[in-house]
Amino acid sequence: MIRLTIDGQEVTVPQGTMIVDAAAKLGVDVPIYCYHQALGPLGACRMCLVEVEKMPKLATACTTAVSEGMVVRTSGPAVDKGRRGVLEFLLINHPLDCPVCDKGGECFLQDYTFEYGPGGGRFQEPKIEKVKDGPINPFVLIDQERCVLCQRCVRFMREYVGEEQLLLEGRGVETVVTTVEHEPATSQFTGNVIDLCPVGALLSAPYHHKGRPWNIEREESVCPHCPVGCTSKITAREGHVIRMEGRPIPDREWGWLCDRGRFGYDFGYHPDRLATSIVKGKENTAAQATRQVAEWLKTVVDQEGGRGVGFIIGGGHTTEEAYQLRRFAAEVIGTDQLAISRTEAGYLPRGLNGTFDDVKQADTVVLLGSDPYDTVPVVHLKLRDRLLHYPALRVIGLGPLPLTRDTLPGLDVLVPPGQESLALALAMAAQWPQNSDVQTLVGSLKEFELQGVTAQTLVQLGQYLQGAEHLVLLWDGKEPEMAMVLGVLARLREKPTAVLPTFGPANWRGYEHAGFSPRFEDLTAVLEKARDGEIKILMVFGADLLREYPNRQLVESAFNQVEYLVVEGILPPQGAQHVDALLPGAAWAEVYGTYINMEARLQVAMAGVQPPGQARPIKTYVNTWARMLMKPLNWDEEWDPFDDDSGDLLPFEPVPDHVVALAMPPEAVGPMTLVTGAFIWESGQPSEILVPRVPQFPGRINPAEVKDMGLSTKRGHIMVSQGSESIVVAVTADPQVPKGILWVPQGLFGTNHLIEGTVTISGVTEEVTV
Amino acid sequence: MKPEWKAWAQEAKNEFPRANSALMPLMHRIQLSEGWLSNETIRDVAELMELPVQYVESVASFYSLFHRQAVGKRVIHVCVGLSCALKGSDELMHALEERLGIKEGQTTEDGAYTLLEAECLAACDKAPMVQVNLRYEGPVRPEDAERLLSEEVPS
Ligand code: SF4
Ligand code: SF4
Ligand code: FES
Ligand code: FES
Repeated sequence: MIRLTIDGQEVTVPQGTMIVDAAAKLGVDVPIYCYHQALGPLGACRMCLVEVEKMPKLATACTTAVSEGMVVRTSGPAVDKGRRGVLEFLLINHPLDCPVCDKGGECFLQDYTFEYGPGGGRFQEPKIEKVKDGPINPFVLIDQERCVLCQRCVRFMREYVGEEQLLLEGRGVETVVTTVEHEPATSQFTGNVIDLCPVGALLSAPYHHKGRPWNIEREESVCPHCPVGCTSKITAREGHVIRMEGRPIPDREWGWLCDRGRFGYDFGYHPDRLATSIVKGKENTAAQATRQVAEWLKTVVDQEGGRGVGFIIGGGHTTEEAYQLRRFAAEVIGTDQLAISRTEAGYLPRGLNGTFDDVKQADTVVLLGSDPYDTVPVVHLKLRDRLLHYPALRVIGLGPLPLTRDTLPGLDVLVPPGQESLALALAMAAQWPQNSDVQTLVGSLKEFELQGVTAQTLVQLGQYLQGAEHLVLLWDGKEPEMAMVLGVLARLREKPTAVLPTFGPANWRGYEHAGFSPRFEDLTAVLEKARDGEIKILMVFGADLLREYPNRQLVESAFNQVEYLVVEGILPPQGAQHVDALLPGAAWAEVYGTYINMEARLQVAMAGVQPPGQARPIKTYVNTWARMLMKPLNWDEEWDPFDDDSGDLLPFEPVPDHVVALAMPPEAVGPMTLVTGAFIWESGQPSEILVPRVPQFPGRINPAEVKDMGLSTKRGHIMVSQGSESIVVAVTADPQVPKGILWVPQGLFGTNHLIEGTVTISGVTEEVTV
Repeated sequence: MKPEWKAWAQEAKNEFPRANSALMPLMHRIQLSEGWLSNETIRDVAELMELPVQYVESVASFYSLFHRQAVGKRVIHVCVGLSCALKGSDELMHALEERLGIKEGQTTEDGAYTLLEAECLAACDKAPMVQVNLRYEGPVRPEDAERLLSEEVPS
């Protein structure tokens, strides 16, 4: 540790700390532009000049490491003069158009000029003119005249994200920030440069000229679109959310968002947003609709008891809302048939759930069927961050498709679809052959040979699994047996083993915490009971089951069979003709509440706007129904989802240690297998803003297969059939995808008409050129 | 990518083991044979040097002697530095613009000439001076424009 004095105060910091960070520890603010803790020092802008005793000239606080006994002064005549000079230079060619700049009022160039700058510049010559509001891509604009060339944006994209799409072009006063070959930047993370830019050069296109700090309101929030639950801030104006920004949390989060999250905030005022109640196809008043539903509930409960009612929750509801619904179901209706709308069959026991702190310490990362870039993007950034700090990070992809990338290189072990847990168990058997749990796991696999994976690979994988000091596994939740295999692995390793579930819905842990069953079997059971007539009234909150549930036929028959189907949501679900009562719900940012993310971490999101029209939160609905059913709910005791002892993480629960033999997989019967997976552009609520970015041909298939169908193009439509069902899928030929696999995003193209497995494919259109 | 570029890249790398140092000599050599550096060339160079396209583009745009647009057979740089300006580089530029029928920064339609400005070329004693395909000439008075254009220039 090093001791030094800053502005007369003593501080002790680790060796290698830069003066700015040491000062920050004392609460002393040194002005900076180019420096950012995540990106490291550069020394480009000279804004951070400070006086260091025994140094002949002012020093840059961001590039000067502390040393024992150092005496630093962050103000005084010399420093003031230095800062004045730097600002005068920075403003020579600045257009001074603050009155029309989106950043006006929240800009470090304004703030520092006001605080430290000269009253005016001495430079009289005409200013250099550059591009204003040029596109980086459809979401990010650049005003090159306002840029102070701090390079944060360029370095973020190049070093941190690893996608080299921004650059400095030219030299001297002519230098500008632009994109490679002036093509739109395509990275998943471009929006972060808006937050990073200390001045008004990089701007959000959808927020452009929409508001300024004095006519907006900002609230702390959490991104609702995927299970990462990135910490964010919303900006609201006149009842609409008009911006989302990252919200850094010291020592925990940098505040990165992916573009899907940052720009996908407009679903609250989507043109299809539900704002009126619809009963039997007709618009109705809120009072009549709620009364009607109460009557149905009463009829069913009187005849069948509470078990005639089933509840399914999904979408973007808060944990509190789920809790209110659960209490209504239990106390007023008297049913325990409470399920979560799940798309995958797997469930992760709390005890195996890791946190992002594990990512920060990981030396080995295994991607089980999940490519974080496309499913939980900011986790990809967290892994990049780890890779930058620990270049030896070992990344292993295990799934039917390659899961590593240029930005996250590693080893890909390709296994036939549905056999990831088998592969993992076999690798464990190679490494721990004597262990009885492992022997049980692979007990029925004596005859089994994993296609395409050599014994050597399995041995190596086993060694990596054992050798890892801190193992992190990202799991897509598709194979339910995986949880058991992971449990065995965690017990065997005796070193930190952390699993991060990448599946949705984003707040499933919250619904579980509130008392809903997270198990896929229970969801299926509720649907089956509805199909079999045991459940007479199905109450669906926030879920779009025809889109989400993997077996569409079951949902359809359940919808056809139930006497009443009541759906609450913010957008009309698929199959609206089945719905007896459609009730408009309150969306994210319209209710205060807690979300629990893939770390099992509780995070609070504030409300910033009012729900539109008749839309109202769950609590209002259940209270009204409870009163109508003569069993009013008592909310005297506020329920707090936080547990005092476990802080903002859900309390730990031991992992069940029950182990059974893994079953032999079914023989593949055809040459083409359908595989579906989460895809960030299709997760969460739809956004109009994002339309230009959503891939139009998101299916993926090997180019050779496309050729075999007689399609000579890179993209096109193909017909995918199974039994009597067929769907049309827009695909891109992707050499990364092994032959025999068709990958389709979950929920798109009506994929759930088909069951994952063998399909036949044929071409639909010719020649859709790129 | 021209087949010989691979060998050139190798030679540059032998001389300068670090890719970002070897980059400049390689680009010079390619520009000498191609006249300029297209986006495609930049991509090829990036591949040869195993550097990001973004980096190569930044370097190429930093140095004004790398041409990112097609240039004519003769590239005329008119120095507009202080000494040359005092000695009439403005008039010289106008005279050349008039004769060639183009503006500064442009290339004649027949691809014979490109007219560019340069900052002080460190030959103020020859002010106003120009470079023709990098060869220094001066002083070149505005009325010498015609003569300059009719001169034989070794390329
Ligand atoms: S655009 Fe912004 S972040 Fe990028 S270099 Fe300029 S001032 Fe810095
Ligand atoms: S990673 Fe997920 S939670 Fe984070 S910003 Fe993107 S969509 Fe939102
Ligand atoms: S912040 Fe120190 S030089 Fe830019
Ligand atoms: S000003 Fe032209 S050579 Fe110096």
